[in-house]
Amino acid sequence: MVRDVTAVTQDETVENVVRIMATQFLSGIPVVTEDMRVIGFVSESDVIRAAIPGYFSLLQSTTFIPDMSQFLKMAAKLKDKPIREIMTHPPLVVNENASLAHVADLMIKHNVKILPVVDEHGRLLGVITRTNIVRAAMEGYL
Amino acid sequence: MKVITVTLNPALDREFIIEGFTVNAYHRIKGQNHMMMNPGGKGINVSMALAKLGVSSIAIGIIGGYTGRVLLTELNKVSPLISTSFVHIEEETRENIVIVDPVNHTMTSINSPGPRVDRKAVELLLKRYDIYLSRAEAVVISGSLPQGLTGEIYGKMAKKAKEKGRMVFFDMIDEYLTEALEICVPDVVKPDVRGSLTILGERLESLEDYVEAAANLVKRGCKLAVVSYEIKNDVVATQDGVWLISTEEKVDPENILGAGDAYVGAMVYKRLTEKNASMLEVARFGYAAALAKTRKLAKEMPEYEEISEALKSCRLERLR
Repeated sequence: MVRDVTAVTQDETVENVVRIMATQFLSGIPVVTEDMRVIGFVSESDVIRAAIPGYFSLLQSTTFIPDMSQFLKMAAKLKDKPIREIMTHPPLVVNENASLAHVADLMIKHNVKILPVVDEHGRLLGVITRTNIVRAAMEGYL
Repeated sequence: MKVITVTLNPALDREFIIEGFTVNAYHRIKGQNHMMMNPGGKGINVSMALAKLGVSSIAIGIIGGYTGRVLLTELNKVSPLISTSFVHIEEETRENIVIVDPVNHTMTSINSPGPRVDRKAVELLLKRYDIYLSRAEAVVISGSLPQGLTGEIYGKMAKKAKEKGRMVFFDMIDEYLTEALEICVPDVVKPDVRGSLTILGERLESLEDYVEAAANLVKRGCKLAVVSYEIKNDVVATQDGVWLISTEEKVDPENILGAGDAYVGAMVYKRLTEKNASMLEVARFGYAAALAKTRKLAKEMPEYEEISEALKSCRLERLR
């Protein structure tokens, strides 16, 4: 895992969270309490889902989107909202002692790229990515 | 995560070992083992020193651009005891260059000023800092500041930590120290007097000036003040008096890189692991760590056994 504990609290604005994700090349970020317990997770998909009307997900191509202004309006409205309104809650997390096979299984089942790693009290210790898993497999740790 | 180390102006340290280094000449570096690239900046160095002593820490601060990413990648490789959380900005993190010459016993340092940091980045950092404070026992605030920030930020961070009952350690130049002390007094202070021999605006010349400066810091409310005196000696003030810690051992100037950070790391370790240790013992252990570091050429932090060994060479003399 990567021992980077970059996280936000649930009152952080969507705009700031997107800014952090963009500058740190993160596909998602844990949401924590004041004592660092992970209570949510915000991914790129959560933000995009919140910025588009529900029926968009049924479309296979943006060619079918009749009017982009609707997306732009929703994105503008979204930026000042607290992240708790769009985060995944409760979050999917893994314990620091979980086997890599278990983590890989969770990632495949839930189709996620990154998972928060927590201690026995649910406090954030770092994150694990798909690349971490693939690398570990190549090195024979899986 | 027991300790938060704050590095607002980190650097990618590039260290070159060049025998017979002179200016205005062409030098070829011998091989890969004569050139090192390490994550640097005082707080980060303290995290590395703590990791060597088995203490977990979280290194926080502001990094930028490609150099910042290289720094973070390297730092994440150092030890599983170091967690990180840096706010990323666009301007490049600085690189510090050190040329060590083991033949002429010189160390030439070129330190860059660092990027300009905007208000938004500082706000994001302070929010994270508040979260991490909940789990830390001590905070180390040290090093230079990037452009656009003043010592006020150090004072504010120290105040937040003290309000939550955390121990605070300062290691910074007089300009920042003077401003920070207006807001909050730390538990332990080790002023960085390398650039200008000044503490709280007072010029340091005689040993008595050093004694007075250290004692004044304790009068301001610090529990321990450590002031470096003529490279290998330290004037140490506590509420019980003032001492000089020294050694008869020869200390080569080219080996002092990172010694001050080993000092701070070891003081934090002693304070966390031996709650009943006196402040003088804390300073002695720090001094021994710095001495142990100077026995190594590269910026490699000492192990506990090496510090214990160096303790035997420390001499203590009461001055006041």
